[in-house]
Amino acid sequence: MTAYLQVAGLDHSFGGLHALRACSFTIEQGRITCLVGPNGAGKTTIFNVITGFLRPDEGSVVFRGRTLNGLRPQMIVHAGIARTFQNLRLFTDLSALDNVMVGIARQFGEEPLGAIFRPLHTARAQSRRRQEAIATLEHVGLADRAHDLVRNLSYGEQKLLTVARVLATGAELLLLDEPASGLSASALDAVMALLRRLQSEGKTLLVVEHNTRVVQQIADDVLFLHQGHLMAQGTPERIISDPALAEIYFGGAL
Amino acid sequence: MLALQLLATGLVTGCALGVVAISFSLVYATTKIFHVAHAGIYTLGGYLAWSLVLYGAPLLIAVLISVAACAALGALIQSQLYARLERRRATHLVVLIASLGALAVMQNIIAAVYTPDILQFPIEWSSRMVSVGAIRLDYTQLLTILVSLAAYAGTMLFAHGTILGKRIRAVASNPMLADITRLQPQTVYVYVIAIASALVCLPGILVPLDLGLQPYNGVTPLLTATIAMIAGGVGSITGAFVLSVAIAVVQNLSLLVIPGEWSIGVTFFIFVIFMLFRPTGLFTAR
Amino acid sequence: MDFLYSYIVLAEIYVLLGLSTNLLVGIAGIFSVSQAAVFGVGAYIVAHFMMAPDPLSFIPSLAIAAVGCVALNILVTLPALRVSGDYFVVTSFGIQLLATAVFTNWTAGTGGANGLPGIPPPDLLGLPIETTAQYAWLCTGAVVLGCLGFFLIMRAPFGRLLRAIREDETAVAAAGKNVLRAKVSAAALAGAFAGTAGGLYATFLSFIDPSSFDLDASILLLTMVVVGGARTLAGSIIGPFLLLALPQLLTLVEIPTTIAAAARQLIYGLLLIMFMLFRPQGLAGERL
Repeated sequence: MTAYLQVAGLDHSFGGLHALRACSFTIEQGRITCLVGPNGAGKTTIFNVITGFLRPDEGSVVFRGRTLNGLRPQMIVHAGIARTFQNLRLFTDLSALDNVMVGIARQFGEEPLGAIFRPLHTARAQSRRRQEAIATLEHVGLADRAHDLVRNLSYGEQKLLTVARVLATGAELLLLDEPASGLSASALDAVMALLRRLQSEGKTLLVVEHNTRVVQQIADDVLFLHQGHLMAQGTPERIISDPALAEIYFGGAL
Repeated sequence: MLALQLLATGLVTGCALGVVAISFSLVYATTKIFHVAHAGIYTLGGYLAWSLVLYGAPLLIAVLISVAACAALGALIQSQLYARLERRRATHLVVLIASLGALAVMQNIIAAVYTPDILQFPIEWSSRMVSVGAIRLDYTQLLTILVSLAAYAGTMLFAHGTILGKRIRAVASNPMLADITRLQPQTVYVYVIAIASALVCLPGILVPLDLGLQPYNGVTPLLTATIAMIAGGVGSITGAFVLSVAIAVVQNLSLLVIPGEWSIGVTFFIFVIFMLFRPTGLFTAR
Repeated sequence: MDFLYSYIVLAEIYVLLGLSTNLLVGIAGIFSVSQAAVFGVGAYIVAHFMMAPDPLSFIPSLAIAAVGCVALNILVTLPALRVSGDYFVVTSFGIQLLATAVFTNWTAGTGGANGLPGIPPPDLLGLPIETTAQYAWLCTGAVVLGCLGFFLIMRAPFGRLLRAIREDETAVAAAGKNVLRAKVSAAALAGAFAGTAGGLYATFLSFIDPSSFDLDASILLLTMVVVGGARTLAGSIIGPFLLLALPQLLTLVEIPTTIAAAARQLIYGLLLIMFMLFRPQGLAGERL
């Protein structure tokens, strides 16, 4: 049986920096996999390769039997993979609702001719999309902030919004880059509950995370990355309790 | 024969263009700003030298003063305009528009003060001819080749040999890293634009010495120079210079088949070819 | 009274150009100094078809001009934007200079440097437009339609997509949208506006020459958007009306005619610098 997501032999250098070395791993459908490792291990680089923002020197990415190499980022979203960014990259001058609506696929009125010559149809389609977007915001717990500008949201709310935006795309494999970092305890719980809820709805998650408590609580599998190479793979308990890995990660006990 | 003569004058134009290209490339590769006002400094240098010569200064003194003035003006534009915009975190577009505004201001002050008519340098020996085989060039054209090659060599030496040059290359290759080390990119930017402005003053004087001064004479050479820079590979000084010469020679030789008014079409055609088939240029620098 | 109508007609034609430039520069964030070239292409196309041996009437000529300018903008922006924004800067300068060269030297097609006189007045499906007052009505109608189109676009998902692109292209691509296609569509639309303005201009003045469509003219168009304000309807209207009044104000100051043109362009340059430094949102717009 072909793996859900298969990353094979990824190798990439940025000038003198060898970021990824023969990196290979597979992700199974319906599971939450955490990608951990020290800073500079190549986690975000892997995200960039999978989502088409970076063309690796070598290696392949195969999703549901389909090779994604060389596809542009928007095509990969259509294929079913969407990502968030560590530095959020929300549209700060737009409302939360608008941020989500940008992500909705196949909207009528996204090109000028339809917008000008069929204004009524555009308006009707828009109001339907708006309903969908509000439902997505409800799903992440932001429905009451729908019309607020992103710049006025708290950091925790902004993080939830990034998840809402990828949900709007309809992608089934979500790549989340540090969804829990920098959050208060209550916001953290909200995020973890959301991630588990998404899994129960059939989404597959690949999450970059530094917070070991989060990893322990939500991960089904853990991939430990070091210097661009997959060092270890296993359950959270096994990875976290491994002293050699702790040494690499912290220079001490976990 | 005509083709050989055209080749020779193409070399002359190409060398002058080469200095414009390498000076623009210095600014663009380091500050990432598409400094269109560079064309204004080019024009200003020529007019300044002309005024000084008219008031009795020997050409060499006029050149030195003009070069210094251009360097100062470039530094002013960077520190008072670009740096301020950078502090307000202006977008790329805003800086471009400001640079265009500066160009318009410079060109039109010149047009208002000196009139839009073509002015000639009152220098007698500039048009004395020399024959080299089948080719005839005048003193100005020979001087252009010499000075431009010297400028190229000097820039290469500076970039690779001096501490400031290395500092500039470091900032160019990684501005964010430069910011958190002690390379002080903003200070470097001022040096870079000052040096580039000083450099571009040279063809700004040499070309009008041959062809006459005109207030709006800077835009077309700048455009051709940027095309040479792109075709040669951004960041490659040699690439910019070599491609400038190549484009100028091709443009000149095309006169054998196409009337002169369409020369810009030839240049643009070369650009389109590169854009479609090799947008990163020939000598992409490391 | 006729003088006031003339001012209104010209201002309204420039409002269409303002909408065009605002779409391209303000909304899609594409730095363009070739708007006047496209304006000129529209003007020359309309003039050509209305003065051909087998002349077309105004509306069909205008339609051809609009389509031609749409195609031109797509052709110019698509390959360049695929590489980078700075690439397009070079392309834009090149297009503008090339267009001026064509307008000035292709004497057979454009009348060369001496221009194209004798352009017939337009007609609205048989109804002739001859007096300046009638012209003012025609242009007002065109501007109303233009503003309506602009408004509908900005309210539609397309407008939101463009606003998002201006903020963060990478995030938009990560949300599954084709950034290049959106920008090129904006450019195409800008072409339609500019081409239409060109047709109105040619038939109003009944004479066109290359000097109305050169780099200085493109700089004026940028200045209108910068001063009026980016990305808003109000900005696209205020900018042209104000800046077209400027030459009139200048006549109150005694400037010799030899440097009048340079003086105007100097002021535009100063306005660009001042507004970018101190008021990037213009008088009635959003921050550039």
